[in-house]
Amino acid sequence: MARLTGPAVKMLAQQLYDYNLSDDAAEAVAHMIGAMATYSRRLEALNLTGLQPPFGYPTMIAEAERSLKSSK
Amino acid sequence: MSSFDELLSFDVLSLSEKIRSRQISPVEVTEAYLDRIRETDTQLRAYITVTAERARAAAKAAENEIAAGGWRGPFHGIPVALKDLCYTKGILTTGGSKIFAEFVPDFDCTVWARLEQAGAVLLGKLNLHEFAGGATTTNPHFGICRNPYNLERVPGGSSGGSAAAIVARSAAATIGSDTGGSIRIPAAFCGCVGMKQTWSRVSRYGVMPLADSLDHAGPITRSVRDAALMLQVIAGHDPNDPTSSREPVPDFTSAIGRSLKGTRVGVIKQLLEGVSGEVSRSFEASLAKLRDLGAVVEEVSILSIEQAPAIATTIMFAEAAEFHEDWIRTRPQDYGSDVRRTLEAGMLTPAMYYVRAQRARAVVLAESLAALENRIALIAPAAAISAPRIDVGGRALAASGEPVNMVSAVLRFTAPFNITGQPALALPIGLSSEGLPLSMQIIGRPFDEVSVFQVAAAYEEARGLLPQPKL
Repeated sequence: MARLTGPAVKMLAQQLYDYNLSDDAAEAVAHMIGAMATYSRRLEALNLTGLQPPFGYPTMIAEAERSLKSSK
Repeated sequence: MSSFDELLSFDVLSLSEKIRSRQISPVEVTEAYLDRIRETDTQLRAYITVTAERARAAAKAAENEIAAGGWRGPFHGIPVALKDLCYTKGILTTGGSKIFAEFVPDFDCTVWARLEQAGAVLLGKLNLHEFAGGATTTNPHFGICRNPYNLERVPGGSSGGSAAAIVARSAAATIGSDTGGSIRIPAAFCGCVGMKQTWSRVSRYGVMPLADSLDHAGPITRSVRDAALMLQVIAGHDPNDPTSSREPVPDFTSAIGRSLKGTRVGVIKQLLEGVSGEVSRSFEASLAKLRDLGAVVEEVSILSIEQAPAIATTIMFAEAAEFHEDWIRTRPQDYGSDVRRTLEAGMLTPAMYYVRAQRARAVVLAESLAALENRIALIAPAAAISAPRIDVGGRALAASGEPVNMVSAVLRFTAPFNITGQPALALPIGLSSEGLPLSMQIIGRPFDEVSVFQVAAAYEEARGLLPQPKL
């Protein structure tokens, strides 16, 4: 299994966000993302087939209308 | 005229009745609370801002209006306080952060607008874990908030000031917010009632977000009935928050006082594991009390609940980082180290993990709803432990001095109901051998806060309130 390393995290933060992480912070973040990857793979076992994420289209329409109203 | 201690001893309902009948004036109550803040807050650091003059003016206006026959309802003239991530027009709203240290909003959040409309008196803004991003309220910018039962212990968080103020009697009722447990954890550690109602039941307009899809703003109070009364004021659809529900708002007190005889409640098996001996014994005693009250108490299983902390943290990290991106990129040194690390992890959370975590929420909710079939509520401990020790670095420490893993100690118990959006209430069940509060959660079906309040109020009445801490 691929493992995210501190230097890789440091490079990603720099290239994606122009953000400088210290070596220690990069190691800690690599550990956190690594744990997240493990947990994310475990979620596949929950049988998520066909389940939609809970983002509602009615909310999007309402937000668009609200945004339109406040921009007038 | 009542004595200082007597004025502070009333819950919202009792105080309200006395204010309505003009036995007590909102002005004298407000002065008593302002005195109490002066007396306790040097030690507790529950408040970031005290709005004394504004409170006095609002109390006087309430007194005049009530005298003229214009009583508005149970919160008219009641001194309350808000977690300092609730926007208040013209009043400093810091989010517990250096980034917002001088931020003064030009509008009110809906929660405060509704409380103010109900006649509540604002005492001030309450300390919190920076940007609600942790569970200790060891705030590096505005001071360490402390637990009223033991000043060396954390009050929990992120709404630590909201719970500490209730227990110290430096506010009659407060508002907190809850993304992974931030209302229920401090309520559990400080020994008061914390209600996280159904997601979308209360508008989040003007409440500084941590993670939009998990955030709730809700009451922290002395009693279950007070929580129901406060929720009554703040619940309901708000056009400024399109995610707020149009579901009808019931009378949240309607089942308070109703017998539990013949009702069925489920104890979540997975959340009985990994708790301290004292929590386990106290929780078992509370189940016995529910049985004495006539409830049928049965074990239920929610297998996917073990995945809940991972689902919650993945979503929380990503959504928080998106909100903070500009500030974390330009002012990283202005964040506390723990919150900064969370945001840095969020910046690099793969979108695929985020979407998968969102999809998994429905699985946990489906299992929880199955466990609720033919039952009015589920029950679980609110935390695995009592309040841990304060560490100036922002962590929480066990008695041994080792850092407490807050994911397994608290988030595992509270975050499941952020991801399912179900109503969940924390209430005290006793004191540990060290004199620290212990707590349980009562969880209901989406939009069935009424049953949660029914079970909680019946238990609370049978057990009685915790003894007041000496401050």
